[in-house]
Amino acid sequence: MKRSMQIRIGLVAVVLLLSIWALIPTFQAASISSQDRALARSDSALFDPQLRALREKIDRVDARAIRRGLDLQGGMYMVLEVDQKGMSPEQARDALQRVREIITNRIDQFGVSEPVIQTQGTSRIVVQLPGLQDAERARNLIGRTAQLEFLLVRPSEDYESVLNKLDTAFKQAAEAGKAAADSAGDAAAGGAESAQAAADTAAGAAADTAASPFGELPPLPQSAAEGEEEDSFVRDHPFTSYCYYDPQLMHTYGTPLLVEEENVPKIEALLRDPEAKVIPRNMQFQMGSEAIGLRSGLTARPLYLLNAQPSVTGEQLSAARISPDNDRPGSWEVNFRLDRKGARQFSKVSGENIGRYLAISLDSKVDCAPVLRTKIPNGQGTITGNYTNQEASDLALLLRAGALPTDVHIEMERTVGPSLGRDSIRAGVSAALYGALLVVLFIIIYYRATGLIAVAALLSNILILLAVLAQFGLVLTLPGIGGIILTVGMAVDANVLINERIREELRKNKTVRAAVEAGYSNATRTIVDANVTTLIAGVILLWFGTGPIKGFAVTLSIGILTSMFTALVMTRVIMELLTRNRTTGGLSI
Amino acid sequence: MQFFRDTKVNFVGVMRPAFIFSMLLILIGVVSLIAHGGPHLSIDFTGGTIMQLRFTPRPTTGEVRDALEASGFNTAQVQAFGEKDFLITLPVIQEEGSEYAADAMSTALREHLSATNIEVERVETVGPKIGNELRTAAVNSIVAALVLIVLYITVRFVFRYGVAAILALVHDVTITLGVFSLLNLEISLQVIAAFLTIIGYSLNDTIVVFDRIRENMRLRRRESYRDVINRSINETLSRTVLTSGTTVFVTACLFFLGGPVIHDFAFALTFGVVIGTYSSIFIASPILVWWTEHRIMDRKRAQPSM
Repeated sequence: MKRSMQIRIGLVAVVLLLSIWALIPTFQAASISSQDRALARSDSALFDPQLRALREKIDRVDARAIRRGLDLQGGMYMVLEVDQKGMSPEQARDALQRVREIITNRIDQFGVSEPVIQTQGTSRIVVQLPGLQDAERARNLIGRTAQLEFLLVRPSEDYESVLNKLDTAFKQAAEAGKAAADSAGDAAAGGAESAQAAADTAAGAAADTAASPFGELPPLPQSAAEGEEEDSFVRDHPFTSYCYYDPQLMHTYGTPLLVEEENVPKIEALLRDPEAKVIPRNMQFQMGSEAIGLRSGLTARPLYLLNAQPSVTGEQLSAARISPDNDRPGSWEVNFRLDRKGARQFSKVSGENIGRYLAISLDSKVDCAPVLRTKIPNGQGTITGNYTNQEASDLALLLRAGALPTDVHIEMERTVGPSLGRDSIRAGVSAALYGALLVVLFIIIYYRATGLIAVAALLSNILILLAVLAQFGLVLTLPGIGGIILTVGMAVDANVLINERIREELRKNKTVRAAVEAGYSNATRTIVDANVTTLIAGVILLWFGTGPIKGFAVTLSIGILTSMFTALVMTRVIMELLTRNRTTGGLSI
Repeated sequence: MQFFRDTKVNFVGVMRPAFIFSMLLILIGVVSLIAHGGPHLSIDFTGGTIMQLRFTPRPTTGEVRDALEASGFNTAQVQAFGEKDFLITLPVIQEEGSEYAADAMSTALREHLSATNIEVERVETVGPKIGNELRTAAVNSIVAALVLIVLYITVRFVFRYGVAAILALVHDVTITLGVFSLLNLEISLQVIAAFLTIIGYSLNDTIVVFDRIRENMRLRRRESYRDVINRSINETLSRTVLTSGTTVFVTACLFFLGGPVIHDFAFALTFGVVIGTYSSIFIASPILVWWTEHRIMDRKRAQPSM
């Protein structure tokens, strides 16, 4: 036997053995029943040495088994965009890192096995939570800012002056808008070209004010009379006509101002309007988080006028835990304690402002605004929001993990439930099995004995491909299974090219050995050229693809390489071994 | 066993009708694309939310739609998906907090359809920013694939072969795109991946034929160019049909058994393989004939370039 032959036989044997070895953990992982897995994950596994051993074995085996993508095992993939508006590059970098730390902290407390939290580029964070059960909860835990602030409520006099300022400003804007629209009409009628630019800006201004919802009038709950009078009241009070103001309410709600539930969006839009800049810079409005049922049967939300600067923030929080809400059976509340610095501040603020109201605000929504009766030295407080047990414990978790330094929003999300993941695996595997079976049958019928060699090559190809996935920790996704299936179909190509070549050479009356020799050497060039182009497409997919698509590109690209190895090296060794002493006779091809 | 032994089909002879047939397919596709206002892009590229919900027992599509409309989701599209599921698509909303639309929709459905158990199987949300980026990336990747492939073929063969191969690829992708438009299927990230695979695969076929042409040009200098090409196509016919056959076997398995999640992907692959095989026989090689014969007329005698 030639030396090169020995080397090639050795190479094929080593590759196959290594592949089998690399796949052993995958088979072991697949053989562990889901009951055993549940047992090993349960809390009792911490104390039972047998279960602990099982758990360690599962961890060890899973770490080296083929990793399933989130679309196959269920889970959540998220890309978060961190709001970096108005930050210097350095601040932006800090904010990104800080957000990542806090989200990591939150997820650790939430308890997900093997989460991945990474920054991507300069403003994004990628979060992967495999095996996640409750996506809605995770979304709220990750995306919420959770900024806790304590803000003093302004006295009634401030309310009155600010409300008057707002009414005047919006009224003037409305009249200016009307005037601008009129003059725009005149200018356009004049037709002078220079007037056109002025008309454009004027019309633009008119359109802007038209966007503010002055036009439609809601039925007013308690205020104002009917008819003419009502119209003029609304015209003169574009802001307060949507609200209900009574200084007596202060004692009940901590604010004298209520907004009927259906007018809340209008008020929020008005407060975002540029005209709302007349609110003094040291004050701000915040909506209450909960609606209040009024005696008249209407529901309303309190609107608070607060200090712009918080007296104390959640940064100074040292503990947060939940307890049942005594006032509302079935509800839960969150009790928190401030750290030493926070408690000192809190005690100072409460001591200096006895008789005033202090709003507890979460993400710019006021939870409640109790009156300060005495100096509060210990820095303890409660948030009551009619929470369920889970909502309350999530809020406590958020408060403990800290607030995000800036807003984040979910720019992309892919979540797959566990049962869909199982369905997908089942569907993918059965498609792969039936596809492979069809191909194998076809090849054997078409090429007979030589077909068996091609089939051996095909199966080895899948084996090596899976081994590469397992060994290099690559992720298998549903499109990835599609890639394997496609590789099976295409891997046949190399064998077909070779066998057709050998047939042609045999027809030229060459000996079997010479035909095999010529067949392989002629087909090799074709196979390489043809596969390189598909590989180009695969590599580009790798570069551009995200998530599941990347999985497809991975299996397709590896599959092309492994199929070239099995077709050009493996089958050739077998064919040459089988035909090396044959100078006469036929070949079953 | 052998399907095609010593076939002598005059493929180059049917070049003209094949071109007309292809032009017709492309034309229908382009008309459909124009009528639909461009390809029907999925939320991967436009931004929005897709939700797959499992209902037991399953209500009618109308009931689901009414429930969503009652909660203010007027732009949501509802379609039955698989046997037990519904797919709800909500185009992008720019409002703040729209990334939580999935939660709001499932809550609304649970309220209105309290008689059925609703399980959220899948949520995909893409913001407009990433949607735009993905669109650019998809276009870039297809262009990059085409350019790299022309380069590779130019290096390994000659430029002329590269152009013929690329024209065949453009032909394949355009027709597949047209079919997607005709059937009103969405172009998603997965479908783009399928397109790139079609490009790679169809090329694979074309190159096998080109490789044979190159070889026969060297061996049979006395034959006319037309004959060499016909001979090459016939000699590789068995392989072309066999390989396409096995590939279609497996992609069809994926289509029928792979589940609804990769249905469109498998469809694009299956259709692409068929059209790619057709184009490498009837389009790519005849373009070479057409191109070379124009050069022959200039130079009287064709000099095989390799």
